[in-house]
Amino acid sequence: MNGKLYWKNQLSFLMFQMLCMLTLSVFLLAVGNSLDSILLILFTWILICAVFMTIACQKRKREMDKLLRLQEQLKEKYLIPELMKVPERADDQVFYFLLKAAEKSMLEHIEVIERERTDYKEYIEQWIHEIKTPITAMKLLCENNRSPFTRELLAELEKTTRFTEQALYYARSEHTEKDYSIHEIGLFDIVHNAIADNKYLLMKNDVAVNVREFDDTVFSDEKWVRFILNQLIINAVKYRAEQPKIYIYTKQRNDQICLFVEDNGIGISANDLPRVFEKGFTGENGRARQNATGIGLYLCKCLCDKLGIGIDIVSDTNGTTIMLFFNINHFIHQVQG
Amino acid sequence: MGVNKIMIIEDDIVIRTELKKLLIGNGYDVCAISDFSNPIENIKAYKPHLIILDIKLPDISGFSICSETRGFSNVPIIFVTSCDTDMDELNSIMLGGDAFITKPYNTAILLAKIASLLKRVYETQKHTDYEWQGAVLHLESSSIEYNGSKAELTKNELRILCFLFKNAGKICSRNDIVDYLWDNQLYVDDNALSVNINRIRDKLVSIGLNDFIKTKHRQGYTL
Repeated sequence: MNGKLYWKNQLSFLMFQMLCMLTLSVFLLAVGNSLDSILLILFTWILICAVFMTIACQKRKREMDKLLRLQEQLKEKYLIPELMKVPERADDQVFYFLLKAAEKSMLEHIEVIERERTDYKEYIEQWIHEIKTPITAMKLLCENNRSPFTRELLAELEKTTRFTEQALYYARSEHTEKDYSIHEIGLFDIVHNAIADNKYLLMKNDVAVNVREFDDTVFSDEKWVRFILNQLIINAVKYRAEQPKIYIYTKQRNDQICLFVEDNGIGISANDLPRVFEKGFTGENGRARQNATGIGLYLCKCLCDKLGIGIDIVSDTNGTTIMLFFNINHFIHQVQG
Repeated sequence: MGVNKIMIIEDDIVIRTELKKLLIGNGYDVCAISDFSNPIENIKAYKPHLIILDIKLPDISGFSICSETRGFSNVPIIFVTSCDTDMDELNSIMLGGDAFITKPYNTAILLAKIASLLKRVYETQKHTDYEWQGAVLHLESSSIEYNGSKAELTKNELRILCFLFKNAGKICSRNDIVDYLWDNQLYVDDNALSVNINRIRDKLVSIGLNDFIKTKHRQGYTL
């Protein structure tokens, strides 16, 4: 509460008091009272008035501070009227009811938007599932009638699939916690599947793929890990240099299996490196190519966080290496053993 | 045991016919039903070795077909669906499905899954030897034999020869061979293919097979 403004608001009341004092003094002087007694009366008056007003001010300040504190603790600030007591003062009550009405309309508004949003989201998910049927049909048609033309078409279909998958995962990424099942999965089965998903992209760009296979198994969700790997492979192809190479291998250290996805691409500049996982960040490379969305690595990071996979990136002008750290759970092995 | 019979229960006509074509092309006997009023009777009549089942079907759900089928048969069931929520996956496992593949599937992965399921359940001995004009390709021992002399083959060489033997007499384009190798998780590019073909030719000559792989200019290779 602004103290200065408070006293300014009390100015009319003070003026009125002063006017009263003046009138009373004139009257008492006229009836023949001594100046001393008048001064005494005025002094007492002012004292009582000052004490009363200070207490009133303090009380009001306490009330207001309490409200401010309440609001500070509240996450949804617009719900403050729910926590407020109905004020005693008539003018305060008006404001209280105004706030109540505002809150109500806000809640209604939010509900409408929320409903629209879930509807839309459900529609998008539905749509993505529907579009997958014709994509599958087209893929099968191409596979059954192979020619240079269908090869081109398959490459485009691969792209289409990738975009639909990304849209689906983006729509779902905020409630991944409801949508994963952890299994024991062979890491290289997923690596091979991810490569198969991008077969035509890799072949078209003459990418030399080198997989140093090892039968590592980890506990994680297959489709999310595959999604992450897809993103990494696509990035490696997107930011490739001459004679592109992708090298995928694992290393075990302590309690972790680390999956390396290494490329010999153009690399990421040191300035951009700390920010590559931010949403919408495209950096120098992305701006130069103009087809970067700034979403890919951001989604990877989100998913890794939710799945408890560590992700790290090293890069220089000779290429980029992304590392995924999977924890080994000895407890599960012990139980199974 | 003869040819493995596969039943396709899928409501999209194009996918159904094309999948049927693909599976027949890969040496399976296929029955695709187009009337979903009584799939259980169809399954009982056809007695498939494996069922490819879509979850979303008109009037009936794939899950109920699966659980009803489990009442009388242990035939392996592959669920194929475009809904890839984990609830669906969980349901399919709970109801006795053996595999869960999401659309749009990679045909290589689907075929591999079918083969591995059939192998696991029926322990069929896939014919592991191919023969063409007296030359025998042994998949198990990764070697080629002709007139009693044998040559060892590397993984890449074996797969290339395997593809050529499968399509013996036909012209195989370089692209198709590379495609096939990628589907078998061997990531070989065009140059490496040439190197491998040359190496194979050297080995073939060493066992007395001269000009076994012929080059068709601008088209590819043929046996």
